[in-house]
Amino acid sequence: MKIPRYAAPVSLSLLTASLLVGFSQTGAQPASSYCASGKPVKFAQVSWESGQFTTEVMRLILEKGYGCKTDVTTGATNITETAVASGDLHVFAEEWEGANEITNKGLKDGKMVLVGKTLQGGTVEGWFVPQYVVSGDAARGIKASAPDLKSVADLARYKNLFLDDENPNMGRLLGCVSGWVCDKTNTAKLRAYKLDSMYAQYRPGSQAALDASVTSAVKQGKPILFYYWGPTALLGKYDFYQLKEPAVNAKCYELLKADDPAACPSATPSVTLRVNLNSDFARSAPELKMFFGKLSMSLPMLSKYVGRITDEKIAPDVAAAEFMKANPGVWAKWVPATVASKITASLK
Amino acid sequence: MFPNLSLVDPVNRAVDWIVTHWGGFFHALSADMLRYLLIPLGQGLSAVPPYIFIALVGLLAWQATRRWQAALGIMAALFLIGSFGLWPKLMLTTSLMLVSALLSVIIGLPVGILIARSDRLRSVVLPVLDVMQTMPSFVYLIPVLMLFNLGQVPAIFATVIYAIPPLIRLTDLGIRQVDGEVLEAARAFGTTPRQLLLGVQLPLARPSIMAGINQTVMMALAMVVLASLIGARGLGEDVLTGINTLNVGLGLQAGLAIVILAIVIDRITQGFGMDGRIRRGLSGQRLKVAAGNESAGVGVPRVASQPLLSQKAPNPDEAQA
Repeated sequence: MKIPRYAAPVSLSLLTASLLVGFSQTGAQPASSYCASGKPVKFAQVSWESGQFTTEVMRLILEKGYGCKTDVTTGATNITETAVASGDLHVFAEEWEGANEITNKGLKDGKMVLVGKTLQGGTVEGWFVPQYVVSGDAARGIKASAPDLKSVADLARYKNLFLDDENPNMGRLLGCVSGWVCDKTNTAKLRAYKLDSMYAQYRPGSQAALDASVTSAVKQGKPILFYYWGPTALLGKYDFYQLKEPAVNAKCYELLKADDPAACPSATPSVTLRVNLNSDFARSAPELKMFFGKLSMSLPMLSKYVGRITDEKIAPDVAAAEFMKANPGVWAKWVPATVASKITASLK
Repeated sequence: MFPNLSLVDPVNRAVDWIVTHWGGFFHALSADMLRYLLIPLGQGLSAVPPYIFIALVGLLAWQATRRWQAALGIMAALFLIGSFGLWPKLMLTTSLMLVSALLSVIIGLPVGILIARSDRLRSVVLPVLDVMQTMPSFVYLIPVLMLFNLGQVPAIFATVIYAIPPLIRLTDLGIRQVDGEVLEAARAFGTTPRQLLLGVQLPLARPSIMAGINQTVMMALAMVVLASLIGARGLGEDVLTGINTLNVGLGLQAGLAIVILAIVIDRITQGFGMDGRIRRGLSGQRLKVAAGNESAGVGVPRVASQPLLSQKAPNPDEAQA
């Protein structure tokens, strides 16, 4: 723990140095030489709401502040990630670092670069139950059905609460969409936590199905054990309790991710959310790369606007405009002063 | 210019209300369906040793087509699916499809008969069928899922909604196409309406009805991949995983298995759709008639399958007379 004490001032001074360089560059040139040439910045449509919100905030800043043309292309994550690697698209706004194999390969081949940390403190991921399962809900007349459920180890006692209709001898962990990384991790975790004889992971097939199942259970006040992650609208919308897991152990987690028989207990480490840029684009638009690198939001702020999008059904770009109007102090730190003043002018 | 109308909030509130107040009832129904029908059927199918299953399907195919080449080809195709390591998933998909098809027949056949007899009912039912066929499935998959819980049961309901219209339409068409002179002759012999239906109309409409069942089964198979999106296990799961991980090989292999299953069922149901006389004659000289018949495709009224009766163009008024 001694190293950070020395490292912190050094990296801070490095950061300020790079900031100064950045300011002097952008001050001397038009806001973006890349966009001044008329080339559009092509965003991948992220399929989840937090990513859509971030995408729209970026587009708004690029269009109003840097004078860029932007467009968004819809597609399944793997398709759009492949397009970012090939240069057909330029920006994937919310990349879960290390989670996507196509991106990992693209980074290794030098076709993509990750910049910034869009969410302060990173993500949460694990197994959840509705809060009323643990502490009851007097207002709805629900008694706590598992008052002693605190950690994954306690699940062994509550198997009968989460029974699987299709396999009535087992508890059901409503798990991960087939083919996602968490699919293997959940299976391996059940084994590492010695729950595999009592619980089976049930793959919901799609996120829509997972969300609908959780929502349906919450509306009926029924117990449900499910895998989920944040920042997401669902976690912001209802009150959920995340089961405690053994401390993160990097080596164990690697084994869990591969569903290795020797996998040992470990929580899922928090993931850093980054912006994924096509390398050629990043090279030709350094001023935009710098902006993407600085964009950063807190979890409550992100959840608030993601919740607006899902609960109140407002469009992501409307939510982004609301955010820009309400939080000038936040985004002003991401861009040079000249760009910020243009954005401020456009918002009025 | 337009008045401000929206279905969004009323529909959302209605779904919320149903889920909150009736969710328990539907969930119990779903659990019972699983416990007493789907799980035993799935386990039963899985318990049959694959070679016996393949032999039985081969026998059925021979019985249907009377051609040993077709039967052998079908057995080889099933063997291929097993060699891909997809046998357990094939059984899950088959049981899902069997139950959906059975439910479709139980509901679709009587509805088809009813609308063949009443023009007024027909004018109400046909637009409903249009809606069922064109409404994007995911729109009703999710609410059905919220009621019935994840998995096979909502998948079956969604499949029935999607797959039942051709059976109803073709049953109706088949009965209406029965020659008016034949009906007149039957009535002249003093048949009761029940005898007329069971002894004359249904047997003569059989090719059309079998084409309907064939189409229903095909459409049920087409829903397999979509059903995997709401957690139904089986071949669709592999297609989905293939898409999600960009594993083209995995997706294609499972997709191929679905195609093979479709061909197997298509050949067998088409075979049974043919008139018994033709089928028995198939091994002999009438082979060419049958080949022409098959290439004419599904859904086209087969003239050759009713050799004893002249078949007229669909004309409801005349059929009614």
